Amino acid sequence: MTAAAPEPKTNMGQPVPRYDAAAKVTGRATYASDMPLDNPAHAFLVTSAIARGRIDNFDLDDAKRVRGVIDIVTHENAPKLKESKLFSNGGYAGTTIQPLKSADIAHDGQIIAVVIAESYEAAREAANRVKVRYTATTPSATFDSPGTTTAAAKGQNAQFKEDPGVGDFAKAFGAAEVKLTAAYDTPTQHHNPMELFSTSCVWMGDNLVIYEGSQFVYGLKNGVAEQLGIDADKVRVVNPYVGGGFGSRGSMTPRTAIIAGIAKRLNRPIKLVPTRDQGFTITTYRAETRHEIKLGANRDGKLLALRHEGAEVSSRADAYCVGGTKTTARLYACPNVASLVSIVRADRNTPGFMRSPPEVPYLFALESAMDELAVKLNMDPIELRRINDTTVEPIGGKPYTSRSLMACFDEAAKAFGWAQRSPQPKSMSDGDWLIGYGCAATCYPTQMAPSAARVRLQRDGRTRVEIAGHEIGTGAYTVIAQTAAERLGVPLEKVAVFMGDSDLPPAPVAGGSNSTASTCSAVMMVCDQIRQRLFKAVMPDSLTDKAKETVGISQAPATQAAKSDRPLDIEKAFDALGVGVVEEYGEWKPEGAPLDSFRAMHSGQVRLVGGHTMKDQIAYAFGAEFVEVRINRFTHEIRCPRLVGAFAGGRIMNPRTARSQLMGGLIWGMSSALLEATEIDERNARYVNDNLADYLVPVNADVPAVEVILLSEQDDHINPAGVKGLGELANVGTNAAICNAIHHATGQRIRKLPVRLENIEV
Amino acid sequence: MSDQPSSKQSAFDRRAFMAGAAGSALVPITARAAAEDARVSTAQDPSLPVDVTLRVNGKDKRLSIDARTTVLDALREHLKLTGSKKGCDHGQCGACTVLIDDRRVVSCLTLALAAEGQEITTIEGLATDDRLHPMQQAFVDNDAFQCGYCTPGQIMSAVACVKEGHAGSEADIREYMSGNICRCAAYPNIVAAVKQAAPEIMKG
Repeated sequence: MTAAAPEPKTNMGQPVPRYDAAAKVTGRATYASDMPLDNPAHAFLVTSAIARGRIDNFDLDDAKRVRGVIDIVTHENAPKLKESKLFSNGGYAGTTIQPLKSADIAHDGQIIAVVIAESYEAAREAANRVKVRYTATTPSATFDSPGTTTAAAKGQNAQFKEDPGVGDFAKAFGAAEVKLTAAYDTPTQHHNPMELFSTSCVWMGDNLVIYEGSQFVYGLKNGVAEQLGIDADKVRVVNPYVGGGFGSRGSMTPRTAIIAGIAKRLNRPIKLVPTRDQGFTITTYRAETRHEIKLGANRDGKLLALRHEGAEVSSRADAYCVGGTKTTARLYACPNVASLVSIVRADRNTPGFMRSPPEVPYLFALESAMDELAVKLNMDPIELRRINDTTVEPIGGKPYTSRSLMACFDEAAKAFGWAQRSPQPKSMSDGDWLIGYGCAATCYPTQMAPSAARVRLQRDGRTRVEIAGHEIGTGAYTVIAQTAAERLGVPLEKVAVFMGDSDLPPAPVAGGSNSTASTCSAVMMVCDQIRQRLFKAVMPDSLTDKAKETVGISQAPATQAAKSDRPLDIEKAFDALGVGVVEEYGEWKPEGAPLDSFRAMHSGQVRLVGGHTMKDQIAYAFGAEFVEVRINRFTHEIRCPRLVGAFAGGRIMNPRTARSQLMGGLIWGMSSALLEATEIDERNARYVNDNLADYLVPVNADVPAVEVILLSEQDDHINPAGVKGLGELANVGTNAAICNAIHHATGQRIRKLPVRLENIEV
Repeated sequence: MSDQPSSKQSAFDRRAFMAGAAGSALVPITARAAAEDARVSTAQDPSLPVDVTLRVNGKDKRLSIDARTTVLDALREHLKLTGSKKGCDHGQCGACTVLIDDRRVVSCLTLALAAEGQEITTIEGLATDDRLHPMQQAFVDNDAFQCGYCTPGQIMSAVACVKEGHAGSEADIREYMSGNICRCAAYPNIVAAVKQAAPEIMKG
């Protein structure tokens, strides 16, 4: 075993190499803009230079003179598209701001024209020659900008149903022996997946094929069909590989239907490869947030009162929010809890999910505050968590299906060497470097959604799994292949997996860490349908009833399932059935899924179940993260030489892909704490650093030693696969862990992210 | 496009190209005049196709392209070699890295015309006879990627990093692999992969 392929512990699958490894190292993996097109025309976007106002007129003469220009599409001649509602209101869209519909400008960088030309170079040149005259109005950029409006999230965001609370916060806080009130800020951030937001559209008669990196091909297919006013069966979205998602490709953006409409009008394939800076405004982002936390505790550290108030920026058009109080109100045993989430409307593009949507900003606030409380109590921060650990969430009194938070703290602390920490701030150094150790809890809700799958088994064991899941780098192909191989008892190399195509059986959005739990549960169920058919074929009638009982979901692999002395002989079963292929289709839904789940699944609507919304239980994955920071006492340079995380996520399908994903998450967390922020020009409500040189993400030299510890955990209450999901877990606690370590190194508490050297006052 | 013997000759005229470059979007005010002047003689219009022969993965490829076409777009849009990726088009991310005469180059900032007569190696040219190059195998073994989009650029950069003699230590590898962004953050695994492949590559 190498570091990349950790030895599996109990309830872990094998660390096999990725199914798509060879394709990815040879350049054969085809992403959206790699798809061969027959004589495509190239599109180049023109985006708004103002954030609020109107377009008075265009001067297109100069642009049209560029050789090779085919068409220039503006609001004056754009294809008419129907509106799509926001995904959270039963639609598909990540924004209801529809460009090219009128002369109105709702945010900076809004699409205002599309130039179509014979070549990319001509389209780009013509786009740069489009002249626009605007009437600009002063925009409101962000918090505290004149002209913003603020209101409670409850009542304006359909998915934010309540501000969780219990007991009497005010009374308990008033009476508490130790009190803390602190405010925290998190910045605007952009996903910046490596693959650009490319879209190609090809019509064949009335049928449309869309090549676009998507985290939800069924949502995109149905959304574009709705906007074009055509039958969803005529739209197919294809993306066998997606160059990173992180939430940016979860909901439909306006560009897709626009390009589809133009391709239809011109009767020619259109290829759009937007620029990196356009990606900052034509899709979503993580909005800036503000928090106030109040904690009241006994001298012995027992929490008595917790209040979390959060505010988030959204667009004028849409009341998007992440509302992470659903998690922070329930994380620790605390009898008196109050919370409030507000939305501040500004002249911005609509924000959206970004890796670990609610928990990243909200747990930064709570886990920083817990560290501040530990300092006030003169208590080890791990012990403060232990004292307030709970098996029952305080709001609804529901038990956690499993909770390994303290086990994660203990394992990670041991590996990190927490015992060597001298508790006093500014008490550890190495030459010119101040050293700080910090830690924080991490968690993410366990979520599942309905999913279908089709599995076909041949007599020689060759297996084909079809499911419209998404390979965004998580290892989805790999764990689905492993699931089918294990369930059918066939060698892994005989399993082929087909995903990323909306003509395949529907799978949910690859977001909210639900994919592995949902798709693997569906694939398991369909494999069991196949096993059942095969068993019936070879069993004496008297045993058939028995087989029905034993060959169900959550049984041992097929070869042992019937009876250990009667392993399933696939060839014999095929001969008995007299067929060459056994194929089964099935639809799986999690316990507690709403009645309309399967209908919604086919129409590209997600019905997520899990987290705190389960009926009698609450399901979360947990972890603990430890960091060492080093701060140069003269230059204030901040380095993070070590990151250690221990995580418990139920069944680990593949320790190799799991470790990689969690490692990437820890680095994301470090990046969020120390590097990433989209700077806003508040006068003009424009993003300033909209490129990969100025929007800082880590490069190899920024990345320290990262250690990932996978804890063995079994949870039989969540889904048949026993999977909690890992994609969003690792980067939740890191922001706080780093600020806590900076406090330990310097004695300075930093409550605003990201922390840069100019913020350090040693 | 066809495979042709290598030719150092091309219809490309440096003065025409300069006019063309200025005529693109770089300097719009002065550009307009320059472009109009250029249009007087169609031979100097930058949008008129220019013949160029690129030597890619050991084969000569004859193309007729816009003078402003980058090596990256020539590979992707004209030669159907889509392994090299466009991540920023500004030389900031490294996803488009190829080898030109064995040096690593961001192909998005290199004009195809300027690469004529040089040996371009892309990710598609690395494996031989269906056997993975040691660096490709090391990336597989060490799970040095997740989404895979930056991977071709990382691997080309890693091959050059070793040949430059910059793979002597983990710190060196980290430093000299820092021109290639991996948003999934597979960095520690990339370092492990370069370390694994380096001795075999140096052996030849």
